Amino acid sequence: MSVLIDAASRVLIYGIAGNFGRFSARDLASYGTQVVAGAAPGRDTREVESVPVFHNARAACAETHADVALVYVPAPAALDAVLEVLDAGCKVIVYPGDGLPVQDAVELRAAARHHRAILIGPNTPGVISPGKSKLGFMPSFCYMQGPLGVISRSGSLSYEAGWRLTTAGVGQSTVIGVGGDPVKGLNAAEALELLHADPETRAILYLGEIGGSDEYAVARYAGRADAKPAAALIVGAAAPPGKKMGHAAALVGSQADSQAAKVAALRKAGVHVADNLRDLVDAVRHAFGQHEAAMR
Amino acid sequence: MLMTEHAGKCLLKAYGVPVPAGVLMRTSAHVGKWHGAYPVAIKAQVASGGRGKAGGVVRAGDSVQAQAAAQQLFERKFDGEIPASLLVEPWVEHSRELYLAVTIDGESGGYVVLYAPAGGIDVEHQAPHKYAFGAPRDFRAHEFRSMLAAIEPDGALRERIVALARRLLFIATAIDAVTVEINPLAVLPDGKLVALDAKIVRDESAAFRQADLAEGIERARKREPRMVAKALAGNLMMVGLDGEVGLMSGGAGMTMAVMDMIADAGLKPACFLDCSSNPTPAGYQLAFDVLDAEPKVKAILVSIFGGGTQIDRVAKVMNEIITKRKSRKPVVFRMNGTGRDKADVVMRDAGLHNYPTLESAVDAVVAAVRSR
Repeated sequence: MSVLIDAASRVLIYGIAGNFGRFSARDLASYGTQVVAGAAPGRDTREVESVPVFHNARAACAETHADVALVYVPAPAALDAVLEVLDAGCKVIVYPGDGLPVQDAVELRAAARHHRAILIGPNTPGVISPGKSKLGFMPSFCYMQGPLGVISRSGSLSYEAGWRLTTAGVGQSTVIGVGGDPVKGLNAAEALELLHADPETRAILYLGEIGGSDEYAVARYAGRADAKPAAALIVGAAAPPGKKMGHAAALVGSQADSQAAKVAALRKAGVHVADNLRDLVDAVRHAFGQHEAAMR
Repeated sequence: MLMTEHAGKCLLKAYGVPVPAGVLMRTSAHVGKWHGAYPVAIKAQVASGGRGKAGGVVRAGDSVQAQAAAQQLFERKFDGEIPASLLVEPWVEHSRELYLAVTIDGESGGYVVLYAPAGGIDVEHQAPHKYAFGAPRDFRAHEFRSMLAAIEPDGALRERIVALARRLLFIATAIDAVTVEINPLAVLPDGKLVALDAKIVRDESAAFRQADLAEGIERARKREPRMVAKALAGNLMMVGLDGEVGLMSGGAGMTMAVMDMIADAGLKPACFLDCSSNPTPAGYQLAFDVLDAEPKVKAILVSIFGGGTQIDRVAKVMNEIITKRKSRKPVVFRMNGTGRDKADVVMRDAGLHNYPTLESAVDAVVAAVRSR
């Protein structure tokens, strides 16, 4: 079992006719993910990489029974594209784009909830359940199947972490990119609940950064009596206060936003926090050690 | 992007929220010639919070006092910033100060109304009451009203606050603001509300549909140091950091992770420079131009872990840039990700070394800086 997606997931790629959509269709297919439909409104494209392409999401889902979607449109078009895919009935949707206005993210989060669907993003590479399915554009070779659930605010950092873990022989159940924006479709607290309920996930790695409050949700989770063991890496110690570090939410505006405060809160809750990337795998191993000690 | 108090108040006024009739002034002589009634409030227009506590708001009873106060304010620094202008407005006698804001709350994933019955400069000592409702269409005045009922016994005042909260939400959505905060919100002796301050933060991501915001971002970019301004103009994300390692990276999280490793090795990054927003030959060329031209930068670390960015293509571009490059600053590469096998071949054929791990690359660039 995995969370959000599995080998049975049927993927719609909205915006499949662009360069990135084509690349992603090939990439997903080569991972064994079933890309069953594409959508390209306003274009005459009928097929991309042997995938049938439709004028709209509703027709695509009706014809092909696509149930999850990956949406590749620029930020100004994202609100309407994701609403369309929700209306078409997709239950898990990844919107990877960055630069989405916050009020559009708020609207989409509310709309997804209304449809009893889950939006992942904005500003994320997506989600991968290694060996089963992939709904995003993370480099596949970085991952292998295993018992570690991963939640990340940063795409690039999740690749680096995945690659280190896989190289060290630590496989992953599901890697969820919740994204670097202040308002997320699926936030860290909600992603934690999914991994908590997943029997395949035995420990959780959280990759966080300065700004925002997701790290405190992780600390609250780790403080629970029934929590799975957790490790974390929080980046941005060297970032000066008051400056936005690329991600819309990565800004130290108060003491609570700082890397040091977050690390302290997580450690207090019993999370194995790595000092930096160098000891990330060790921190994860300590978390698993805690798990095994508890099993004995 | 934070609006100045004056700009924020003009905006509130345009949406029918009462504000004092103020005038923006750029010299103390100008302030001395204020034609309105006295006393006046003279307020430094600076970005930093805690301005009231820092003495940035002065009451003046006549023109002599006003000019003297203005002169002092123009010479003072607030969090490093000297005010370029002062807002002069009639002093508003009031019976109470409240706090009211509409803002984005990441935790609940939507908008919230924040209210505190005692506003002013000490508002931070008490957590404001929070009404979280998510999307604007889910704001319910009656829910906010019931929350207020436990705090404000005066029904007439309560209704004014509820109506103003709705108005602030309307403004936030209309102008793509992530925060519209009024602190203090004054209660006049007759019970009416007046916004004595305005803190409005606009969402820069919405610049594509807010022309004035796009212009504001453009103006702010021009005020940045030359190196940063050039990078931002080329759609790279850059923050100057004053160190000696020129870090060229992809993705915000990895950029910060590498910055932290550089700092742990005892050096400082010269910048946060994320090329993922413009991963094109022109983008990477610009990144090199900017770092090569900056005298503080002693060596460059190119650290990219590509997902959607195909790293073999980046390797080809890097090779072309390095071949033509005139600067002799050492460059250390660590590139991994989608297309890495092809990238390794490209790098090897070009005689460039691609460090296998971030640790080895950081160690190499630190050594390069130390040996110069």
